[in-house]
Amino acid sequence: MAKERILKGIAVSKGISKGTAYVYETKEIKIMQTPVPTIYLEEEIERFLSALEKTTKELSNIKERINAEIGANFAQFLDAQIMMLRDREIIDTVKKGIESEKKNAEYIYHRVLDKYAKKLGASRDQYLKERVADIWDVGTRVLRNLVGLTHASVVDVPQGSVLVAHDISPSEAALINPEYVLGIAIEVGGRTSHTAITARALEIPAVLGVEGLLGKIRNGETVILDGNRGILIKSPTPGRIQFYKGEIRREVEYQKMLSPFCELPAKTRDGRQLDISANIEFFVEYTHAKKYGAMGIGLFRTEFLYLTRRGNPSEEEQFRVYDELAKKMKPDPVIIRTYDLGGDKIFSDYHEANPFLGWRAVRVSLDDVAFFKIQLRAILRASVNRNIRIMYPMISTFEEIKKANVVFNEVKKELKKEKIDFDDHLQVGIMVETPSAAIMSSQLAAQVDFFSIGSNDLTQYVLAVDRGNERVSHLFDHFHPAVLRLIKQVIDSGHKSHIWVGICGELAADPLAIPLLVGLGIDELSMSPVAIPKAKMVLRALTVPECENIAQKALNFRGANEVKKFLKRTLTKKFPGMGGIK
Amino acid sequence: MIREKIVILNENGLHALPASRFVKLAEKFKSDVKIMKDGVEVSGKSIMGILTLACEKGSKVTLTTKGQDEEQAMDALRKILEGQD
Repeated sequence: MAKERILKGIAVSKGISKGTAYVYETKEIKIMQTPVPTIYLEEEIERFLSALEKTTKELSNIKERINAEIGANFAQFLDAQIMMLRDREIIDTVKKGIESEKKNAEYIYHRVLDKYAKKLGASRDQYLKERVADIWDVGTRVLRNLVGLTHASVVDVPQGSVLVAHDISPSEAALINPEYVLGIAIEVGGRTSHTAITARALEIPAVLGVEGLLGKIRNGETVILDGNRGILIKSPTPGRIQFYKGEIRREVEYQKMLSPFCELPAKTRDGRQLDISANIEFFVEYTHAKKYGAMGIGLFRTEFLYLTRRGNPSEEEQFRVYDELAKKMKPDPVIIRTYDLGGDKIFSDYHEANPFLGWRAVRVSLDDVAFFKIQLRAILRASVNRNIRIMYPMISTFEEIKKANVVFNEVKKELKKEKIDFDDHLQVGIMVETPSAAIMSSQLAAQVDFFSIGSNDLTQYVLAVDRGNERVSHLFDHFHPAVLRLIKQVIDSGHKSHIWVGICGELAADPLAIPLLVGLGIDELSMSPVAIPKAKMVLRALTVPECENIAQKALNFRGANEVKKFLKRTLTKKFPGMGGIK
Repeated sequence: MIREKIVILNENGLHALPASRFVKLAEKFKSDVKIMKDGVEVSGKSIMGILTLACEKGSKVTLTTKGQDEEQAMDALRKILEGQD
């Protein structure tokens, strides 16, 4: 029996699967150089043009399929590819090349593309560099059609496979069928690659960036893909298989037990209704929000729009995403958070000693008003759907809210002047994630329509712990009474000013925290979509008085461990036989 | 034939969307459209050509239009480069 090997990568899509490795290798197309007699030159050019046409049709079909299944925004990269196919300069150069050199279309076309790819590849600009992949994605399709090869396709992957590949082109990734592909392991790429996004959208467990993957995995061998831990296990030992069998079974049973809760209202036993909404980062995740029973989007992170382009997306581009998301979620609300970017993400040569205390989020936006205005305009235009709300991240002073609102009102004025419709009453809120904002919340509440507590950053700042630093990360604990007391303060200040208060950090999704937060009077819990059914289940077993009792006790403990011990004890009593709720 | 020196003022340079908008617009005109930067000239109707020029905001380019609607083409295309479309 072969020795077990564990290959490490980056966990990009959760879940576990055991299956047969399907090693997906795009066969190299051999480009032969053959002379073409003068009388056949015209025919050769015809052959090239019809290969282009066939490829255009293929891409249009894929685009339609993506539009229908995932959403139009996701298919934008295909527009760029189709444009490359129609590129007049390329077509003319190839035509001229065939005529003057009297050589076959494959040879000339390949050489022309190679020239462009090299030029772009040498660019200092990340965006342009990434277009090389698009050139070869398109180019390979055309070449295959020219040499008459059927396109090796992920559509052919047999049932029960774990797809193993060096890389999958974006147009191929979009064709992955989740009924056949149980897991995805890729040699290159990271969290924001197309394959990662597709895997998450289709809820297929995936591990990317597995170095040396293709040399280690053979076609047809049994592998276990663990998308939670970011590993691929080759030749798993019987013990390992047993362990994962149990894990998969527990997961399936757990999901089955939870699934009825997706549809049920988020209400306590004695009838208090809470808003449970979803935190999402990518447009396509709205499908998960709906599936798991979210009552809106509590946090739409917009950084992704910026990061995948390495530049500020245009107003139009942003508008399309916000508008489509608003339409999909209607009438449920969508809270769009303006960029939460660090200065280092915007200027590549920008570094600072203390990024968490530095130039980031609304501080950056307020320093570059033109940049901020583009985003606000796009959000306001999308607000014609009447379900959009806006939220500024990392507010630490009263003046920042005022400044942001000055810009916001300028943008409104501009739109009015241009006779562009928008929602003049859209709610404007802030993230409460700095200690100063929490402490001053009673003053800030008068300026805004809602608070959303960002418990992760709040915890970091209050406890002075960088959770990314391994030496101190054990000190990070959002159950610390210091954090809980601040949360209480924020909720109380909000309610005194008659605004609603939500929470969108990880604390909101922690079943142990739910009775506590309800007891403190929270109005909204926003979490990753998959956590929603569990949160509803917990919520529906509680009553407000018992939650208030729990909250009061929790606030008076001396440390996080005491709080957690108490909460665990209380919840285990409520949900016996579940082996603990976590 | 019209030839003009233009500084690219579009926020994102001539990347992605502005480049594809430029090409789509250029294709609507009968005139020949050329862009030159650092001595390299490409067709203004070619997305690949334009991308390989790697025009950032602040780049200086020479835009040439030639044909029966060269004036309209120049006016419309200049606006994209200057970020006023």
